[in-house]
Amino acid sequence: MKRMFYILLLSLLLQGQVGATGRGLTLLEDKPAAPNFNLKDVDGNSYRFSDLKGRVVIVNFWATWCPPCRAEMPSMQRAWEQLREEGVMMLAVDVGEDEDAIFEFTASYPVEFPILLDTDSSVSESWKVRGLPTTFVVDQWGRKVYRAVGGREWDTPQLLKKIRELKEVP
Amino acid sequence: MLLSGTAMAETTVEVGRNTGLRTWKWSHQGVSLRLVQRLPDQTRAYVMAKGFPRDAADALATSCFFGSMFRNDGSLPMDFDLRQWKVVHNGQESGMKVREIWKQQFQERKDIPAPARIGLNWSLMPTVQHFEPGDYNWGMTVYGLPPGETFDLHLKILLDGKPLETVIPGLQCAPEVVEKPSS
Repeated sequence: MKRMFYILLLSLLLQGQVGATGRGLTLLEDKPAAPNFNLKDVDGNSYRFSDLKGRVVIVNFWATWCPPCRAEMPSMQRAWEQLREEGVMMLAVDVGEDEDAIFEFTASYPVEFPILLDTDSSVSESWKVRGLPTTFVVDQWGRKVYRAVGGREWDTPQLLKKIRELKEVP
Repeated sequence: MLLSGTAMAETTVEVGRNTGLRTWKWSHQGVSLRLVQRLPDQTRAYVMAKGFPRDAADALATSCFFGSMFRNDGSLPMDFDLRQWKVVHNGQESGMKVREIWKQQFQERKDIPAPARIGLNWSLMPTVQHFEPGDYNWGMTVYGLPPGETFDLHLKILLDGKPLETVIPGLQCAPEVVEKPSS
């Protein structure tokens, strides 16, 4: 039974590499205001979303057990390495888990952007997230401008261009 | 396969070489739905690891879970509401067991920790979703039938606001033990 379980797990992970990427960013025509939140990261530091006004912010909702979420993390890290020097902020909001789950995950997938804990999923719900992963790109005025449902390759030139263009809007 | 509308749709069935589990894939104009059988033991282990007690885990495990991948690789926006889908089993029609049903079923259970309930909720396919081209979700879908039972799934989506209804016939809930394919 144990062997069968590992075979199943392996096949699911392999499936996760195939078809775990979507494409593009959806422009949200009405640019709804991104709800404020105050969440702690895995080290106990507080992040208040409203403090980030004036910056373009990528907010990714995810969980460690979600294969497409795991699949997109390395590309998010690569995108972060390019964008952080340019003033863009990236936050990964984990839905419904605790620090232990995150520490176990980051041991295999090291990332340097802040991982925040939405343990009761209230922030995810207020942001109208329905499935994981879902990512929003928020402009300098705190408005949700783009949405991606499902994982993406975040360091592709097309996606990076859209994010960089937002910074240049007067 | 029945399809309202004029365009062609396709359903394929594959059997996992190592697992013996079956996967159904339905596709139409770039929209696709893959349903992969989940063994009751897989679901039992998954929810118990999240903190569900044995009796609740057994109830979940024997409710016919499928791993589900819903994608919109086409060029039109797509919407679905799982509450409109029908499970037809032995001529009887019923609804799917969506997030809200499980939430209600377990909300009074003090022995099920909140993180377990939250984890289950987010592991299930969203009940209502809107996909722009390029979007997708993975999540489990639940059909409320015992292991090994066969049923037809009547599904409905909106493609660019226009309803599209179809049937995936002969879906089978994973049995308790699956026979491995002979090599």
